[in-house]
Amino acid sequence: MKGDKPEEQGLDPEPEAPNQPTEEEEALIEFHRSYRELFQFFCNNTTIHGAIRLVCSQHNRMKTAFWAVLWLCTFGMMYWQFGLLFGEYFSYPVSLNINLNSDKLVFPAVTVCTLNPYRYTEIKEELEELDRIAEQTLYDLYKYNCSNTLGAHPHRRRRDLGRTLPHPLQRLQVPPSPRQARSAASGMRDNNPQVNREDWKIGFQLCNHNKSDCFYQTYSSGVDAVREWYRFHYINILSRVPDGSPSLEEDTLGSFIFACRFNQNSCNQANYSRSYHLMYGNCYTFNHKNNSNLWMSSLPGINNGLSLVLRTEQNDFIPLLSTVTGARVMVHGQDEPAFMDDGGFNLRPGVETSISMKKEALDRLGGNYGDCTKNGSDIPVKNLYASNYTQQVCIHSCFQESMIKECGCAYIFYPKPQDVEYCDYWKHRSWGYCYYKLQVAFSMDSLGCFTKCRKPCSVTSYQLSAGYSRWPSVTSQDWVYQMLSRQNNYTINNKRNGVAKLNIFFKELNYKTNSESPSVTMVTLLSNLGSQWSLWFGSSVLSVVEMAELIFDLLVITFLMLLRRFRSRYWSPGRGSRGAQEVASTPASSLPSRFCPHPTSPSPSQPGPAAHPALTAPPPAYATLGLHTSPLGSAEPSFSVCTAGEP
Amino acid sequence: MAPGEKIKAKIRKNLPMTGPQAPTIKELMQWYCLNTNTHGCRRIVVSRGRLRRLLWILFTLTAVALIFWQCALLILSFYTVSVSIKVHFQKLDFPAVTICNINPYKYSAVRDILSDLEQETRDALKTLYGFSEMKSRKRREAESWSSAWEGTRPKFINLVPLLFFDEHATGKVARDFVTGRKRKVSGSIVHKASDIMHVHQSNQVVGFKLCSNDTSDCATYTFSSGVNAIQEWYKLHYMNIMAQVPLEKKINMSYSAEELLVTCFFDGVSCDARNFTLFHHPMYGNCYTFNNRVNETILSTSMGGSEYGLQVILYINEEEYNPFLVSSTGAKVIVHQQDEYPFIEDVGTEIETAMATSIGMHLTESFKLSKPYSQCTEDGKDVLVTNIYNAAYSLQICLHSCFQTKMVEKCGCAQYSQPLPKGANYCNYQQHSNWMYCYYKLQQAFVREELGCQAVCREACSFKEWTLTTSLAQWPSVVSEEWLLSVLTWDQGQQINKKLNKTDLAKLLIFYKDLNHRSVVENPDNTIPSLLSNFGGQLGLWLSCSIVCVIEIFEVFFIDSLSILTRCWWQKTKEWWARKQSPRCPEASLSRRGQDNPAIDIDEDPPTFTSALRLPPAPGTKMPGTPPPRYNTLRLEKAFSNQLTDTQVPDES
Repeated sequence: MKGDKPEEQGLDPEPEAPNQPTEEEEALIEFHRSYRELFQFFCNNTTIHGAIRLVCSQHNRMKTAFWAVLWLCTFGMMYWQFGLLFGEYFSYPVSLNINLNSDKLVFPAVTVCTLNPYRYTEIKEELEELDRIAEQTLYDLYKYNCSNTLGAHPHRRRRDLGRTLPHPLQRLQVPPSPRQARSAASGMRDNNPQVNREDWKIGFQLCNHNKSDCFYQTYSSGVDAVREWYRFHYINILSRVPDGSPSLEEDTLGSFIFACRFNQNSCNQANYSRSYHLMYGNCYTFNHKNNSNLWMSSLPGINNGLSLVLRTEQNDFIPLLSTVTGARVMVHGQDEPAFMDDGGFNLRPGVETSISMKKEALDRLGGNYGDCTKNGSDIPVKNLYASNYTQQVCIHSCFQESMIKECGCAYIFYPKPQDVEYCDYWKHRSWGYCYYKLQVAFSMDSLGCFTKCRKPCSVTSYQLSAGYSRWPSVTSQDWVYQMLSRQNNYTINNKRNGVAKLNIFFKELNYKTNSESPSVTMVTLLSNLGSQWSLWFGSSVLSVVEMAELIFDLLVITFLMLLRRFRSRYWSPGRGSRGAQEVASTPASSLPSRFCPHPTSPSPSQPGPAAHPALTAPPPAYATLGLHTSPLGSAEPSFSVCTAGEP
Repeated sequence: MAPGEKIKAKIRKNLPMTGPQAPTIKELMQWYCLNTNTHGCRRIVVSRGRLRRLLWILFTLTAVALIFWQCALLILSFYTVSVSIKVHFQKLDFPAVTICNINPYKYSAVRDILSDLEQETRDALKTLYGFSEMKSRKRREAESWSSAWEGTRPKFINLVPLLFFDEHATGKVARDFVTGRKRKVSGSIVHKASDIMHVHQSNQVVGFKLCSNDTSDCATYTFSSGVNAIQEWYKLHYMNIMAQVPLEKKINMSYSAEELLVTCFFDGVSCDARNFTLFHHPMYGNCYTFNNRVNETILSTSMGGSEYGLQVILYINEEEYNPFLVSSTGAKVIVHQQDEYPFIEDVGTEIETAMATSIGMHLTESFKLSKPYSQCTEDGKDVLVTNIYNAAYSLQICLHSCFQTKMVEKCGCAQYSQPLPKGANYCNYQQHSNWMYCYYKLQQAFVREELGCQAVCREACSFKEWTLTTSLAQWPSVVSEEWLLSVLTWDQGQQINKKLNKTDLAKLLIFYKDLNHRSVVENPDNTIPSLLSNFGGQLGLWLSCSIVCVIEIFEVFFIDSLSILTRCWWQKTKEWWARKQSPRCPEASLSRRGQDNPAIDIDEDPPTFTSALRLPPAPGTKMPGTPPPRYNTLRLEKAFSNQLTDTQVPDES
């Protein structure tokens, strides 16, 4: 709008001059002829309370000064308050809402693992080799003869180590320098390990690519050291298993899960999906997202939950890898991967474990209000998991990313991108060195994973609490065992340790939703601004528009005057004189334009004189009844074209 | 003429006719815009230039629209709540603690009633899985046979036999494995006899079939595991049998408080069975509630920590367990409010034998605001479901009550594991032959929310909840086991006449972790004063308007304009009537008409009060010559008002 205005007014005085006879009605936009008029008009019609007193009470200096001070004070107060209000708004405060909802709930996904990692056929020989070396090491370090547990090949033990593995387990003295420790360890090998137990640590050496930098990964407890060492080699062996072709022995639901019920109905093969975890063995996920119809809980309680009877016998387990027996269960959301390491729950064999859940949801406001991400698309870490974004997913992906960048190979416990292979020390000699270094850096957050991975905006969590009871009872165990073994063609030899029962159910259907809402919204901000404005100034947004109009008018009038002065000076003298006459407006020439065609008519001349007193008299208080004539009088004499025609 | 009216007329003569007395709406508007305090309006009138005026109209209308929009937003968000969380530290009332043995009745006491069912189950096991009785049980079984009810052998057990379903067969061929002897006993059943199954493949599943009265409509229930099938089938018959046993007998068959509670210790003081009140649960038998407002006093703890809570040792006699009904050993405990119903089945925490279970509690109270802030109910009186439990309202009570009521409505009898509504009795075969079919159908409808219970029941507005943290320890320790067991055996000499084993005992500790209690209270976010001040802020921000302005607008736009319109219309009708009725002075009327019409036509204005009444010929003759004024141009208005002061006063007076 403001763009066209200068254009129009620029054209107004000149092109409309010729067709003055037809110029009968009000122009599109009209301007005052002088500053004085303009201010007169403004003073009469403004709605800014203080401004009237300030600008318009010209006759009393004292009053003007007083009003100026008052005006400045209120102005200052108002802007101070405005500053406070805006400051509050732009700090984006949130208020926490806690809603207690009760609804039919979607049963979460439940993953149950056997805690029983497999021996693949492809790597069986290598695993046996590893077992043998482990035995040897155990014997060397602890004089432990483990022929009973691991003795698959007792005749080969302690003889002809066909090929030695890198990174042997060693006993180290604390605090040693690494090289001394190694020599000391080799020299002291025959000593009784019980002597000075405190001074020794067990560990293995890791070196970088050109062996220039080495360190020992040490543990205070031999059990930890052996497990970690074994795990390290196990990972290496597993990485040689070709992708996607782990020939798992065909394992049906029946051999791990004896009975399954949900909500009083038995479940079937469609209700679960199977996956394999390297450390926890076979895992079964119930009620996963690709289930056709998700389980719903409409009543709380054991009867309306998931009930499983599990086989917890460990037949072909790797003793140095997993030292627990039972099963591991985890409750997670449908679209989250099951991080069994991070949030699992171990089940004891021979016991019925009842896990009651309580749902809790947290919704954060994203955007300016908090540091969270809606779906992870704005996170600079690529999601390697085929699931929705969670912070855990992101951190694992981030670690894997830096692992690939630093070490050139992928850590086997996390998923890998297509073109990278898993770490193996026969191919990547220094990956162990690299990995442990990276892990230290990761836990100190120098990789920046924890800052890169932001919290998701909405999180659903399940609070679990468990109760235990002995199962099966003495009186019922006969028929229960008999039945289970008949049904599954499998004899349960070690009775109480062979089975476990698991119930997972909602404790209550009430769930708490913690959500955030902006505590100052735009509406309340505007309301507060409006109240402050009204309080101190009594003016409104429209008053600001008035001010803008005033400034605009001032500019235009200045421009017009300059233009005319310019024309009068540098143009032809005849026209110049006319222009000068136009600018020097007199009350006599201030006749309204529309009366020009009828100069003889007596009636329109009547208001002409009426306008004179309005100009000379001090402006009356605004909005009195009689006043409406005076602005009219002063407002009319504007159109310059008309006056130009008169003489 | 009264003097007052004279003065009035005088004033009217001197003043221009504006305001509510203005003759036309246009003048009224002009008067309003010039005199109102609302910003923007004045500018519409006093601005010069059509575009300027248009812009001011636009600004004003935008401001009005913004006010409406923002106020609507304020009203819509009026019913929001804010939550405050307070943490108190005070002496806390100890909650009621209900403890049950998982096994409802002593098997030695109840075996007489259940002997038939037991025999049947064993037969089923034998035929189904070739499971034969262990040696230790032989003696007892023989005993049970001899003491079985001879005359009143219940015939209903065979009504719902366990069947084999071949999963691969398309038609789901059901095969009855009940022996021929049994068939004779229950000759009236509809199922066709078939071969006894001895060899079972894994692709066969076990289940049972439930039919409605006329057997035309049947539903089969299959189980992936035989254990579940047997237990479910047993439970079904068990409920039938127990529904007919009177309550006193059931209480006697179950455990007494002295039997269950070996030792009791609360807040550092010894307590005994008298501190517990009996509560009979249909599925768990005798349960005992501690601190259930016994003498109208609620115990409280002065300190947090396990020393100051409830410590009990429970006697769980595993020998007396029902082998088919329950398969796990232990007790169940639930923490609840004194007036709350303990839903042991649903939310009880299990306690293992030969273990010390420590349960730490943390109290959270929640208070919600009821209508119109949320849908919750204060005391359940406004929920359409009658509470059949003798306890305070909760969502769960409502759901169960609703189901039970529907059950009575649809099936004619009440389900066993829930309390009896008035005038109903529990289901059993003899009276309600097809109740099980009905029950299973209803259960499925309930889960699928077809009964409407979930829609009717609303959550309670305030509730207390205790968050429990459980930890376990092996108990008694190896070194203390010997003396502890012998002392306890000596203590319990009169109740138990056998040497206690450690698997017969369970230790339970329930205590407040700390005496902090958290209360989550909802408060209304907006109050009427804040809403009004927000309204005021919006009005002030956009238009610098107030309530008085709003009243003014109402007055001008509705009352005055309407009155002017009515006046116009009335004048017109009167005139028209006068013209039609009595052309007494035809000259005057003719001339008036002749002068007025062209002016009106050019003006494009509807004939108004002024134009209709304009009398003098001089302005009239001038009028056609002047161009028709645009709307509310100032000069014309001036001319009109000048003339009107002259013309109108004589007319009216």
